[in-house]
Amino acid sequence: MKLYIKSYSSYRSDKEDIDVKKELKKRYKLDTRRQDGFIHLGVFGAQRLKEESQIDKHDELYITTGIGNIDVLQRTHLYVCKEKNSIKPYDFINMLGNTTSYYIAASLGVCGKTIFQISDNFTFINSLISIYASINQSKKDAILGSIDLVNYPDEVIKRVLGIDEDVEVISSVNYQKLSLCSKNALAEVEFDAKTHSLDEIKAILNDNNTKILLSMRCNNLDYETYDKFFETAASCAINSYIKKAQDLLYVDCFEDKYKILRLKSLS
Amino acid sequence: MTKVYISDYEVLSSQGDLSQTIDAIKNKNIKISKKIITTDIQTIDAPYFLFKDEIKENKDEIYGAIRDIALKIISKLDVDERKSTALIIGTAIVDLNIAHAIESCVYEDERTEYSSKKYSIDSYAKAIANEFGLNDFTMSINTACTSSANAMLEGANFINGGIFEKVLVIGVEIYSAMMSSGFSAMNLLSLESQKPFDNNRDGLILGEGLAAVLLTKQYAPWSLMGGFCNCNSINITSVSEDGGEYVEVMRNALKNANISVKDITALKTHGTSTIASDLSEINAMKVVFESGVVFSALKPYIGHTIGACGTLELAIFLSSIDNGFIPSTLSCSNPMLKKYTPLSTHKECNNGVFMLNYFGFGGNNTSVIVKKEQV
Repeated sequence: MKLYIKSYSSYRSDKEDIDVKKELKKRYKLDTRRQDGFIHLGVFGAQRLKEESQIDKHDELYITTGIGNIDVLQRTHLYVCKEKNSIKPYDFINMLGNTTSYYIAASLGVCGKTIFQISDNFTFINSLISIYASINQSKKDAILGSIDLVNYPDEVIKRVLGIDEDVEVISSVNYQKLSLCSKNALAEVEFDAKTHSLDEIKAILNDNNTKILLSMRCNNLDYETYDKFFETAASCAINSYIKKAQDLLYVDCFEDKYKILRLKSLS
Repeated sequence: MTKVYISDYEVLSSQGDLSQTIDAIKNKNIKISKKIITTDIQTIDAPYFLFKDEIKENKDEIYGAIRDIALKIISKLDVDERKSTALIIGTAIVDLNIAHAIESCVYEDERTEYSSKKYSIDSYAKAIANEFGLNDFTMSINTACTSSANAMLEGANFINGGIFEKVLVIGVEIYSAMMSSGFSAMNLLSLESQKPFDNNRDGLILGEGLAAVLLTKQYAPWSLMGGFCNCNSINITSVSEDGGEYVEVMRNALKNANISVKDITALKTHGTSTIASDLSEINAMKVVFESGVVFSALKPYIGHTIGACGTLELAIFLSSIDNGFIPSTLSCSNPMLKKYTPLSTHKECNNGVFMLNYFGFGGNNTSVIVKKEQV
């Protein structure tokens, strides 16, 4: 399966010191009320994408994440479950996945299909598969947003993501505008629904001449590993190599099964 | 384009399994319970469509319930079929793994030793896929009331694209104190009964539901002809009074299914019985079905099952047709519009083309079109 990347945007909290909410208000003149950090992060990434590309109102919008709206979940857990208060209406609405997609869609001016989805493993790659299947039918373009928010204490996120206590987690939001059409594309990304065993992936990597980058979940392979942890790191890795106009073979792993993304620069 | 068929479906509703639910609907003998729901302003003893046997709001019991419904379908698949079956869950339930992690490390008096294992809301799907040898591909979709309806359309895309041979779609909604309190805080709940498209309607009644639907490219009498989903509304909680957003999604569903409005035998509405939503929906129906349409709402039988309503209402509707009738709409005695009145008695019907609508918070709207061949 192959998709073409027409534009992209990236943000990592360790690389840029930005007050996202302030930026939304000041730079993008957006109303941030009744939203929370996860929604702000998603909208911020979408605004950056909008600066880079033409958005069609019928573009399909897919949003994925590793853990979801952690800040509203943590806040409501405190005042609902511990302090025995009732949930506030806007917190209730913000807990629903499509609320984030709604605000992102509204900020981009898209009004077509919108999906908020999570896969336990390979959530970014599985979202690419969904998009490929969908736009094969609809013949539209799609926008994929991958949002991972760090909340404090970040131990909550680490316990849920299944990573060591001393691993550093960061916030990140990354977007790609995707198409089946290669015209004016910056890169093409190839992927598959199939998972590989360790032996199979070693054979693939041995035969490969492209730069290889592993997710931090790949413990049994000996290549360069992506430097920080967040569940949708594949999205950010892809974007950084598009920016460099370089090809990349990205390997992700979960429970001893592997999936790969092949990025080919068209710049 | 590969045709997508609906080859199997199972439910667990407040009325029981599929045959128990159809019997309850046929005989209009509906069981309903009550739940205390608390908000800052009030505590209400609200009607609630609960399962006969309680499923507690914890990970193990929820997994057990999803597993049981999935197994009813999976048990009929051989090893090779299972390997080529993807699993998608549509649900709006709260991620209890995060709640557990919060409890384990945020509150000093409840702190536990550090341990971590990867979890997400999709972990139920992953566990089922692992246990029964399904394909590695799993996904969970949360788009509020359209969750499992959207999951079915995603599943259909996978089969159309030749990516998977089969897709098992499961809708899940289990009672949650937090979720029901949220609905109450928004003044959406009725304390009496649901009255879809009735001038005296005053809100919805929540319900628990589980429903599994198997999509395949192998021929079956029922096919999923197409559908459409949009995210288009004037604000996060409501749509425009004229229902323009619903008109768009219905017309696009018809276009994608390659049929015209006159081909529709009957319409399963979303029909929540809320003041605003029913008004928008009936106004939209007037525009799309200018000459009128046979229509009904299922929520008075099973409640509003939020994320599960996609697969649950589809399975119940299909099974009703299989049993020779379109269910009537309960409790609509003072209809909003004379020309657009829901069925007041069950209508004989064995086949046809049907539109099923689902409209949710955050402007997420979905319309699905299915067909049963004349046998």
